[in-house]
Amino acid sequence: MDPASKHGRTSNSSSSANQTTNNTSNAPVKKSAKELKAERRALQERQRAEKAARAAGNAAVPSKKPPSGSATSTTVGSTSSTSATATVVPSETAGSAKTIDSKQKSSHTKEINNKQVDMFSHLEISKGTNTSLAPKEIHPAILMLGLQFSEFKICGANARCIAALTAFKKVIQDYKTPEGTTLSRHLPTHLSPQITYLVNARPMSVGMGNAIRHLKWEISTIDIEMSDDEAKQLLCEKIDNFIRDSITVADRVIVEYGLQKIQDGDVILTYARSSVVQALLLEAHEKGIKFKVIIIDSRPRLEGKKLLNCLVDAGINCTYAFLHAVGFAMKDVSKVFLGAHAFMSNGALYSRVGTAMVAMMANEKNIPVIICCETYKFTDKVQLDSFVMNEQGNPNDVVNISTTLTPKPGLLSEWLNKPDLKLLNLLYDLTPSKYITTVITEVGMIPCTSVPVILREY
Amino acid sequence: MSEENVKATDDAEQFDIVTCYQKFLKDDPDLSMPIAAIESLVELIKHSKATTLTEFMESLKDASQKLKSSVKNSISLSAGADLFLRFVTRTSHDVTNFEACREHLINSGKVLVEKAAAVREKIGDLGVQFIKDDATILIHSYSRVVMLLLQRAAACKKRFKVYVTESRPLQLGIGAAKVLCKSGIPATVIYDTAVGYIIDKVDAVFVGAEGVVENGGLINAIGTYQLAVVAKAANKPFYAVIESYKFVRLFPLNQYDLPTHTPDLLTFPDLEQHNTDSSEDEVIGNYEAINPTVDYTPPDYITLLCTDLGVLTPSGSASK
Repeated sequence: MDPASKHGRTSNSSSSANQTTNNTSNAPVKKSAKELKAERRALQERQRAEKAARAAGNAAVPSKKPPSGSATSTTVGSTSSTSATATVVPSETAGSAKTIDSKQKSSHTKEINNKQVDMFSHLEISKGTNTSLAPKEIHPAILMLGLQFSEFKICGANARCIAALTAFKKVIQDYKTPEGTTLSRHLPTHLSPQITYLVNARPMSVGMGNAIRHLKWEISTIDIEMSDDEAKQLLCEKIDNFIRDSITVADRVIVEYGLQKIQDGDVILTYARSSVVQALLLEAHEKGIKFKVIIIDSRPRLEGKKLLNCLVDAGINCTYAFLHAVGFAMKDVSKVFLGAHAFMSNGALYSRVGTAMVAMMANEKNIPVIICCETYKFTDKVQLDSFVMNEQGNPNDVVNISTTLTPKPGLLSEWLNKPDLKLLNLLYDLTPSKYITTVITEVGMIPCTSVPVILREY
Repeated sequence: MSEENVKATDDAEQFDIVTCYQKFLKDDPDLSMPIAAIESLVELIKHSKATTLTEFMESLKDASQKLKSSVKNSISLSAGADLFLRFVTRTSHDVTNFEACREHLINSGKVLVEKAAAVREKIGDLGVQFIKDDATILIHSYSRVVMLLLQRAAACKKRFKVYVTESRPLQLGIGAAKVLCKSGIPATVIYDTAVGYIIDKVDAVFVGAEGVVENGGLINAIGTYQLAVVAKAANKPFYAVIESYKFVRLFPLNQYDLPTHTPDLLTFPDLEQHNTDSSEDEVIGNYEAINPTVDYTPPDYITLLCTDLGVLTPSGSASK
């Protein structure tokens, strides 16, 4: 089974030491760096061989290995498990530095865990992925994807969904139905560990959840008589259709509707980077509409920079400001366009942290707030605040105060040593429906209270 | 084939939809604009010599466009025209034979028009429950539906008084007050600007509408939004009474996003252009031309919508 699946809320203190004692007891034991290094190497060999037999509880441990394992993972990335054993050799030659580093990092993650903010203790902080310790049955495409997700290389609801579906297409294409069972019965069970692995890398987005549910339903309707090749071909086609209908074409329709609401002389404010809003602004510029854009951005992700580069390259007049200046920037704004991660049934918007502030500020000045959201991101969940469901990022991201690629730690760099200091890095927030003027979806412009109607009808 | 086409369009053009529409309005003062639009479109179908479905649809669409552009305030008109066009499209998909389709449409058009008269009665019956005995009602301008509702309530032996806003520039409120007094309902005309003064003496506010937009907001005579804001501030219920064929496929973001928006209102006189000799009157110019005639009331200010489909909340009407 997937070792990463059950790490839950077990304390991280048993991380490194537990590996060495996994066959005997779970009691944490502190060892020196050298002993740890040797035992770890031996353990990795043993883990490969004993993967299937290992109990779920002990299996919790390897997932806590820090991303220092990512260097080895690049060699693992595209091949099968035999090369995984080969990478154990490079890690030996990589030397004690790495293992000492990983020991430091693992105690690091242990400390981070102890410093979790109580109010958000129900939200786990992703421990990062170590692909060399992933279970054998995880497809390399999924390994790569998990890594990209946990390192935020692929960011944004649409991008993640498309990447995930493309990876699942590869998994399906490489799949072979075992003897004695049918594709429509066995494929979902084959996909489950892959999905769990992705969820552990980074919690799934609502849109991805809907997409995967759709995929599982498509699998279940496959005719038993169909041959493997035909069925796989059909499924890949269905996945392509889903991406096309729910994302690509939906975005184009949203852009068309959105163009009706952009006129000459508009000053448009947007927050962070939404792929749909970006497409809309580029299209409006191409149509010759004269407007200005104010991009509001926030740390630590600084996603707005990519949007800024894109729009400036297209020749749009842009202003860039940080979130704390939004009240001042809002003075001359005529419309606010925002993107969405998900839309709840009570009309609340779940989006990048900071969106709620922008929406509230705009509402205060009676400026219309327009959300661009595809219908596959609608969910029948109801959420009233930003606490019950959210995602915590790595608190260490807050420490780096540099706005360029080179990290520059600020005053918070010693936060682990200060006993009463905790850092919180939330990724999403909830905007109540009363701050939203309208939602543009591919089925039209709707008031946000009509979301359950769309879920019912489509 | 092309000759026939030309002849068909000529015939349709000889039948001028705008004159037909205006004739309907003049003949029956109780007829509302969207119903007159539907009736004139039905007339067009009768006179149309189109032989193919596509040509037929094209001529209908052109006529509807012509109607909309002929009238200055075309919101309720476009609601009716769009409703009928949607109905035509749906019927043309169901009924394959062109001639049968035409017959069906002409009959359905007649039925729609007949039902329209009954619609107001239905709304009247539903809305009466909101007028309590010994109530004071505030209404805005002249709306036929609201008049019918109040007369229905009086017939139910309810005793109530009505304040009517004068509603400049057309001053329709004065006519409304006269009609009410004739029906035995005591009515007083107040200035539009005296709404805030009188609101505490009022129990409920009733307005009609030109159209209901997609988020449940209202488009009505200028001054309705002000009235709604004052009513909300004074915690008085604000009821809108409207026929279901007036639901418009528009989604205004604010006052200035309406098709009836008068952009000239947002510009100021260029004082340098006018030399000191010209009188102040010339500088201000014709302010009546640049002032708007309708405004948009957001759904937050509306308590309930009384329609012939039932009594709805604004968000409920959005689902309809």
